[in-house]
Parts: sequence; C-alpha cells; structure tokens
Amino acid sequence: MLLVQTLGKLGQTLVVLFIVSVATFGLLKLAPGDPVQIMLGSEYSQESYESLTAEMGLDRPFLAQYADWALNFVQGDWGTSFVARTDIFTYAFKEALPVTLTLASFSLVFAVLIGVPLGVLSAVKKDTAFDAGSAVFALTGTAFPSFLLGILLIWFFGVRLGWFPVMGYVSPWEDFWTGVYHMILPGLTLSTYFIAMITRLTRATLIEVLDQPYIAAARARGEPGWRVIWVHGVRNIAMPLVTILGLQLGTLLQGTVLTETVFNLPGIGQMLTSAVLGREYMVVQAGVMMTAFLFIGVNLLVDLSYPILDPRLRDRK
Amino acid sequence: MTQVDHKKVLAERLSARLGRRAVLKGLGAGIVAATSAGSFPGIARAQQSGHLKIASVKVIDTLDPHFTGFLSAIQIINNIHNGLLKIAYDGEKVTFEPDLAETWDLEDDKTHVFKLREGVKFHDGTPCDAEAVKFSLLRVKEGEPKSPHAWKLELLEEIEVVDPLTVKLHFSEPYAFLPVALTGSTGRAGTIVSPAAAQKYGTDYGRNPVGTGPFKFVSWRENDAIELEANTEYFEPDMPKLERVTFVLMNEASTALAALMSGQIHGMTDCPMQLVDQVDAFPKATLYGEIEGNYTFVGMNCKKGPFTDINLRRAVAWALDREKLVKQAYFGRAQQAYTPISPPMSGFFDPEIATSGRGQWFDLEKAKEFRAKAENQDEIEVTYMMAERGPVGTRIAQTVAPMLAEIGIKVKLELIEPAAWLKRRNEGDFDLYDFEWVADLDPDETIYPEFKSDGAWNFCGWVNTQFDDLCKQAQVILETEERAKLYYAAEDLLMDEAPIAIMAHMPIYKVFSDKVQGFNYIPADLVNLHTVSLT
Repeated sequence: MLLVQTLGKLGQTLVVLFIVSVATFGLLKLAPGDPVQIMLGSEYSQESYESLTAEMGLDRPFLAQYADWALNFVQGDWGTSFVARTDIFTYAFKEALPVTLTLASFSLVFAVLIGVPLGVLSAVKKDTAFDAGSAVFALTGTAFPSFLLGILLIWFFGVRLGWFPVMGYVSPWEDFWTGVYHMILPGLTLSTYFIAMITRLTRATLIEVLDQPYIAAARARGEPGWRVIWVHGVRNIAMPLVTILGLQLGTLLQGTVLTETVFNLPGIGQMLTSAVLGREYMVVQAGVMMTAFLFIGVNLLVDLSYPILDPRLRDRK
Repeated sequence: MTQVDHKKVLAERLSARLGRRAVLKGLGAGIVAATSAGSFPGIARAQQSGHLKIASVKVIDTLDPHFTGFLSAIQIINNIHNGLLKIAYDGEKVTFEPDLAETWDLEDDKTHVFKLREGVKFHDGTPCDAEAVKFSLLRVKEGEPKSPHAWKLELLEEIEVVDPLTVKLHFSEPYAFLPVALTGSTGRAGTIVSPAAAQKYGTDYGRNPVGTGPFKFVSWRENDAIELEANTEYFEPDMPKLERVTFVLMNEASTALAALMSGQIHGMTDCPMQLVDQVDAFPKATLYGEIEGNYTFVGMNCKKGPFTDINLRRAVAWALDREKLVKQAYFGRAQQAYTPISPPMSGFFDPEIATSGRGQWFDLEKAKEFRAKAENQDEIEVTYMMAERGPVGTRIAQTVAPMLAEIGIKVKLELIEPAAWLKRRNEGDFDLYDFEWVADLDPDETIYPEFKSDGAWNFCGWVNTQFDDLCKQAQVILETEERAKLYYAAEDLLMDEAPIAIMAHMPIYKVFSDKVQGFNYIPADLVNLHTVSLT
C-alpha cells in the first residue's frame, strides 16, 4: 500500500516537474533581454553578435531549444553556461546546492532549537509577561524583512563587535567548526521568521494538547511536571510541526535568495539571481528543477514520516 | 601626407617615464623597456609571502583577454598575462611602455618592430617567443570563434616573425590608435596567451588561462572566488611579492565594505560612489581614485520621436545643470564634462576646457532660446528609460527630469530591469536614457565607434558624415597636436548637434586596507598587483 502510494506520488512529481520546466523556459524566453547582448558588454560588432547567437543555438525555434535542453537534462547533461562556460551540473548540483542545503539545515536547526522551547515556555506560562514578550518577539520576527536583519546583524556582530565573519562559506564537511562559525549569522537571519512561526505554533498546539485527558492522567499518576510537558506533551506536537516545516520549505528556499546575497554565500539563491539577470536560461532551468525537486521531495518525506511520528497511522490494512 | 618623424612620435609617447634625454639617446637601438633588469633570469627573485583577499563586486564573464567585455575581468586577467605593451602612470601622465617587448620601434609609419625579452616562459613552461605573439594576434584578428575585439587589428596586414625574439607588424595605414588597441579598454588585443593552452582548452581557455604574468591561475569557483598564486619565475625583478591572491566574488558591495571593515578582506577592486563617504570615515583603509577616461551623458533618440528636432536636443543639452547633477547624482565626486575627451588622455584633454568656449554647459537662457525655435511649442511628453545599472543607478534620471520641466518637456520616468533596458537601448526603443562610456585612453575610441554614422554602438542614431570624415582622417595621423585639432572639430560637431547632453567625468575608486602596501594606481580601472605586498 505504502509502495503504491509512493509510486503514485513519484508519478505526480514528474508531471509537476515537467510543467515547471516548460513554464520557466517559456517565461524566461518571453522576458525581454538577450543573453548575447549581456555577454558582449558595451563594445561589440554586429558580426560577433550574430556568430555568438548561432554558436549558442539561440537562433533556433523555441520548441527546438526546449526539446534539446529537456532531452539532455534527463540524461544528466545539464549543459554549459553561456558566459562562464562552466559545466552546469558541477556548478548547480555539486557547488551551489550543498551551500543552500547547509544554510537551510542550519536555519531549521536554529528554528527548532529556539522556537520549540520558547513556544513550550509560552504555553506553560500562558498569559504571563513572558508569554506576552514572546508574542511580541514572534510578531516582530515574522514582520522583519530578512535582508534588513542580515545587514543589521553584519554591522553589529560583524563590524562593531567583530565576533563573527560577515561573509563567505566554509563547508562544514571540510572544517566543521569554521563552517558552523560562518553559518551563525546567515542561519539566524534566515531562521528568524521560522523561529517566530514555530514559537506560535508550538504554543497553540501545546495549549490544546495540555487540555487532553492523557495529560491529566499523567499528572494524576504523579509524574513530575517537566516530564509531563517535555515527554507526553511535546511528543504530540511533533506532527503538526513537521507538516508546517515541510510546507514552509518553499518560503525557506525563497529566503535563501536574499540571505545568500547579503552574506555572499555561493548557493542556489545567488546562482538563480545572477542567472536570471544574465538570462542564463539553462542555469535558471537547473536551479528551478532542483528547487522544485527538493520541495516535492521534502513533502514526500513529510508524508512518509507520519507513520513514524504517530503509531496510530501504522499498519492500517 | 607630410613625412612624419615617427621616431619623434614614439619618443613623445615614452618620454613621460624615461625623460626626454634618455629617449633621444635610446633612439638608435629603439626604446629600451624601463625595467630591463628582467632579462637576467634568476637574479633578484622576490621572496613571496602573504595571502591577499580582495572583493570583486562586478560580473566577471571570462578570463580570456581576447573575449572579455568587462573591465572587472581585465583587472584579474592583467595579473595573469602580459601584453606587448602596458599602460603606465606617473601620477600625471598616462603612457604606453613595452611590457613583454624589450624594445618597441617604428621602422616607418606603418611598421612597428617589437624585440621580445629573452627567456620569458608561460606558466605551462612553454616559451613566450615571436611565434606565440603571432599566434595571439592572429587569434584576435581572425580566430574562430570570432573575437569581439577583432576590429582593433583590422589594419594589421602582416605579422612577420623576423627571428625567435623579433616581430614586425605591418599595417595598411599609419595606426595612431595602436597602443590603446593593444592595451586599453576592455580590448587587450595585444595580450599574449600561451598557444599550447589556447589550443588545448579552445573556448574553455577563459576558465583555464595561462599567461606570463606575476600570478598563475589556480581555480574559479562560481559566485565564490577566483584564486591565483605567485609565479616564482616571473620576469620582472622583485615581483610578485604576494604568495596568494583571492578575488572574492560578491554581488553586494555593502557586504564587501563590512567585510573590509571587519578585516575579513583587504580591499575592493571597485568601490561604488555611494560607499565612498563611509570609506573616507574609516581610518584603516586607503581610497584610490581619480577622474578616469570616461564620460556620462543623457542620450536622445535622433531617429524617431520628438528628439529628431535638433533644436529640442540643443535645448536639453543646455538645460542640464551639471553642478547640481554632480552634487545630487554623483555624490559630489564627479567632474563636470564639457566634451567627451577626458583628463587621462594626455595631450588631447584641454585643462582649460571650462573657459575655452567649447562644448556644452548649463545656460538656461540659451536652452530657452533653442526651445523657442523647436517645431513643437506645446508641452512635450517624453519617456526616459532607466534601470538599476551603472555607477549611480536611477539617480541621474531623477535629477534630470525636473530640469527638463523648466523648458516645457514633461519627462515620464520608466523603470525597467537591466536586461530589458539593454535590449531596448540596442534596438533604439527610447526617447531618453543615460549611459557612460568608460576606461578610454584615446580620443578615437571615446567618440568614433560611439557616434560613427550607423555604427553598432551609435544607439542615438545620429548621422553626420563630416564627423565620420574628421575621425577617419585623425586615425592615420601620428602626431598628437595635429590629431587633437581634428578631434576637437569632430567633438564640436557632436556637441552642437547634440545627440547627447554630456554630463560628467567620473572617478573610479578602489579601496585597500592599510595592511596593503605598494599598490600602483593607474587611471584605467586596473588592479595590477605586481608590486603589492601585505604587512
């Protein structure tokens, strides 16, 4: 049953990816602007313009260009970028994707590590000054534009205090602590929104959970207060939490664009920004396909995780 | 044509650096390169130390000198490669000096002889000899794919390899522009690449450059960094001083500045004008920057729309308050321009231009007189196409619009995205736009291709065959004074018929932290790190 479901989901995924790829390709081609003009800078001749257009295959009909790209793409040949002449698979998949994944994971970890305890405390201390304070914090966090926060963090912690590096990426796989050190400011910047969201969600669901009979039962058994909340309570908010995180992944990936630009991280966000501005059609395609795949993949994982999080969903045959 | 004393011409070009007497003495044997000690390999090799990190905030397309269209790329390319000639600056005058060549001589006014330095090797170990020079020049002139800079060597008829260290270039006409064609702007037509590497990598040479320069290319990670390391076999004595150089590729200049202030990087290859005040206030960095060879202007469409009327164009040209523009749009950092020829064009720029009566400047009365002569006396509505591009983005358009209201032209500002802006400009789909031609060192490249009738870069669509003739005549005259006269006449036509309203010459800034020593500033947007060291 699970297998059939998974296969069905995969089929849907492919259809969605196809639609996404046609739409991106079409939109980019419709947008005014010409990669050859951008490539050649200001000083060029008509002759070199035409020879370059032909060399890059941009003089061919739209459908032929798309079909070419799609056929090569599914075979693992993602093409070569126009300007830098770099292999797009290496650039997008091996270089940019790990950066964005690292940034996204750090933000998620920050969001959970800060958001859940804050939410739990707010729920437990409902209607106290602490609760009100955390509500204000959450509201500000959701409303604050991440790029502005990033710049403020850079100036305060990076330039004023000199505690953290203000830019650059070091892979945590190569040098764990340096990598973490470089991720703290961008990770915090990107996660503010999610910290706030998780705090509110945790508070709301936990308040509901704490009203449930099994909590009353646990208390009646004389279990200590911390155990009632952190074991019986928090375990039961895992499911809504995971669902929301999966759904919000799109927002997270969207946020990486600005965060990566502000902190100069060579991830998918920066790649997509410069590719769109430079009309690097194939790089944009690669970026969008990876993002779409990631989004669909994570939501698939969220679906699959339900039986693990909630034993009641297991083995219903 | 009168007989030109080409020895004298060449001597003039080199005199700033060598001093007149030395030049006259050197004439018998051609001009000796200023740094001739390099011909004894193994002597005075530098001890390299230090890892310099500088931010590069603009797009870098390729590290192939024969294909790039961007100065940000040239800044790096020049540290990896050498040319036949190089640009030098003594604080007052820009000159062209032999680089890979030991001597540069004129046999007659159409034949240039370059004697190369002995024992220079590319980073891949192959020798840099006359054949390599021929290979590079041919690669620009007629290579496949076609180099966008091929036009610079159009007059080159024959490349004669006299012996392994001597190359003779035969031109079909005297070619006054040659030194700039070989070194200047984004062209670098005279930059010498390793033939072995160019053949091996083909179109991928731009990702794997191999030159003779003070630094070797190591790696290029997209959107991240370009790494160079010292070439310990470099031919100039005591260079380079650094062991490693990283160009950190950044999109956000304000982040680069923050990184500089927190000590994470040591400099910026380009400091946007809006950040210069902040840098000035920061005690631990030094700002380099002077007015460079450039000019900015508001372009008017001479092919369609209201600005086909010459009197309306003249009205605009005289209605712009340049002082206000410099203050409001250029943060008070630029210099008012009267004509395109700019300060670093030694011998051509007139230091007294402001009082010479030539060119365009702000005179509202005169503007109103021209406006009164215009065909359409009603209020005219025009579209000004602007984008977040160039050194100051949309600030110019916003400052200009109210000035034109004074003469009954209502400006509709239209903000579009840079790629769309480029396309519309190239197709001539606008009434007004503003732009800047940058990093020019010769009057020819600063006006002729830009305003040649039906030329590819003449986006305003201005046509004037008299202008074309004057520029063409000037191209084959080698003597500066005589050439300058022709360019002045050409400029006067351009300024009078006003396809553009000229605005300013801009300074281009670079910043280095105080730890960086020995940077040699050249007003051609270069970041040559040959002599730079870290303390």
